[in-house]
Amino acid sequence: MAIRPEEITKIIKEKIEHFDTSLDVSEVGTVIQVGDGIARVYGLSNVKASELVDFGHGVKGMALNLEYDNVGCVLMGADTLVHEGDTVKRTGEVISIPVGKGVIGRVVDPLGKPLDGKGEIAPEKNMPLDIVAPGIIDRQPVKQPLQTGIKAIDSMVPIGKGQRELIIGDRQTGKTAIAIDAIINQKNIPENERCICIYVAVGQKQSTVAQVVKTLTDFGAMDYTIVVSATASDPASMLYIAPYAGCAIGEYFMWQGKDILIVYDDLSKHAQAYREMSLLLRRPPGREAYPGDVFYLHSRLLERACKLSKENGGGSITALPIIETQANDVSAYIPTNVISITDGQIYLESNLFLSGIKPAVNVGLSVSRVGGSAQRKTMRKVAGTLRIDLSQYQELAGFAQFGSELDKESQRQIARGKRMTELLKQNQYAPLKVGEEVLVLYAGTHGYLDDIEVTDVLRYEKELLAYMHAQKQDTLDVLNTATELTQEVENKIKSVLDEFKTVFKPA
Amino acid sequence: MNSQNRIATVRYAAAYDALSQNIEQAEKNAQELTTATKVLEQVGSALQNPRLSGVQKKLILNETLKELPQAAAFIGVLIDAKRLNLLGAICEQVQTLLDDRKGISRAIVTTARILNAVQKQTAKESLSIRYGKTIEASFELDPALLGGLTARCNGELLDGSLKTRLEKLRQQITK
Repeated sequence: MAIRPEEITKIIKEKIEHFDTSLDVSEVGTVIQVGDGIARVYGLSNVKASELVDFGHGVKGMALNLEYDNVGCVLMGADTLVHEGDTVKRTGEVISIPVGKGVIGRVVDPLGKPLDGKGEIAPEKNMPLDIVAPGIIDRQPVKQPLQTGIKAIDSMVPIGKGQRELIIGDRQTGKTAIAIDAIINQKNIPENERCICIYVAVGQKQSTVAQVVKTLTDFGAMDYTIVVSATASDPASMLYIAPYAGCAIGEYFMWQGKDILIVYDDLSKHAQAYREMSLLLRRPPGREAYPGDVFYLHSRLLERACKLSKENGGGSITALPIIETQANDVSAYIPTNVISITDGQIYLESNLFLSGIKPAVNVGLSVSRVGGSAQRKTMRKVAGTLRIDLSQYQELAGFAQFGSELDKESQRQIARGKRMTELLKQNQYAPLKVGEEVLVLYAGTHGYLDDIEVTDVLRYEKELLAYMHAQKQDTLDVLNTATELTQEVENKIKSVLDEFKTVFKPA
Repeated sequence: MNSQNRIATVRYAAAYDALSQNIEQAEKNAQELTTATKVLEQVGSALQNPRLSGVQKKLILNETLKELPQAAAFIGVLIDAKRLNLLGAICEQVQTLLDDRKGISRAIVTTARILNAVQKQTAKESLSIRYGKTIEASFELDPALLGGLTARCNGELLDGSLKTRLEKLRQQITK
């Protein structure tokens, strides 16, 4: 309904009548030095750590270093607008972000301002960015599966709702692709189980973020996704708060009982931004020039991923942090830190990627420490030994390269391993439903592919799925919803696979 | 000034201030230090000159500050400790400590128009009631405030200006 003119006047009149004319008292200080996104302030003797301070000109800052005679602040805006001698006011607040239903489907900056030109977002609540993670009593163990739609991950490194699974690898190994696929796959999941997805871009190119948003929009995934963007050109302070902002948005929905999937892309840049700030604030540098509390920086963020207890509504935040390594070095400072914080890692390798294995998951080094108990029973039964089998295959394949003669069992293992490796390849933006994954993996682990050429495996999969969609949709539906692989279900799988064998024509 | 220097400044000033038994003496001592600082400015860089030994510097000091024995002794200590560069800051800090002893707070009152003597007195009295101290105010003019006044005192900004109120009104209406 349109707003009538007299209504506006009336509202304004009321507002003026109730206007607070009392004196505006604030504690103030003076800028003594400004530059590099940092300001030093004299005065503000009662300011608290992490408190938001107002520099005027629309620039806010955060008090981080409380020293004997000055306060070191990081600026959340252009430092060119702030001058020496300017008055700085305390606000008495900590930094917070406006959240609400309206934020779903939007691209926002870490302060909650829309970046997508789709107008203002109506806030329902202000969430402080730095919240202490829920305690032990408030949580329950991770037990529900979170389907990524990627065969290699759902079968071998399953992720549960409330888990923190690190995606780690060199540049150009498909780290973001896995996260985006997991977001797109939520479309395949019934609405009551679907996660609200949050993609936090830290220190990326504007063009990359635009590309991600476009991809998500094209696949209809923006309907349930929020993008928080702090790009490379933003001040380090914005990069620093971006993951906390994303998490705060997630927490708002989590406490309403919703499930959240949050991707931090990537935390290496986050650590670098924090290093930049810390060095400019003259905090002592430690290993690799990172400050001493860089572990706490990430642990307090990732601890906020959790599965709430039933009394608290049972919501969850699943975190997929991404770390970029240099030359496959996982023993650098930040990677080891984040590996030790998370509940497992998906390790992507450029060698595998270049030899055409995509997603380039290194089976031996990837683990999920809590996801196993959350894995769907159907999937667990089908893929139970897959990870170990593939590891053994890779070891054997190393020997086989020397051309030595192998016994029959080893030859069988190698043949099976080759086909399984081929079967686990998957195109980008093509996540599978859980039923499809179970069916395809069943075919692989139960020898249905053994008499098919390795080069035909992907065609087999594609045609099998097409056949199922065309003729056996009911069986797929059963597999999608089945929680247990009963004899009855298994018989159904066997019969369709046998049937398809007569249809499939090897090259 | 870095933190180390700041800490040193505060400590030297506190020590100098502690030499005085009562307010009158403190005022005299502070006055003496201010005068000594001004005198030394005229002596110029001689006291900073590395080619002069400490003994020579003290001779100059005793000669120039004959009538100011307390300040001369204090500055001698500063020379020994190689802290002469802090003298100006120490002098200011001693003044602040004296203000504390006398129960004085300094305030900067900014208005859009020039105040008459009565208005100035009213402003000072209101501030002294608020902070429970005698106020020594300096008055400044800033037409950008449009009306009303702002006062900075004790690290606080009391803002009763028309400019801020209009801004608050604008924010409230557009919210």
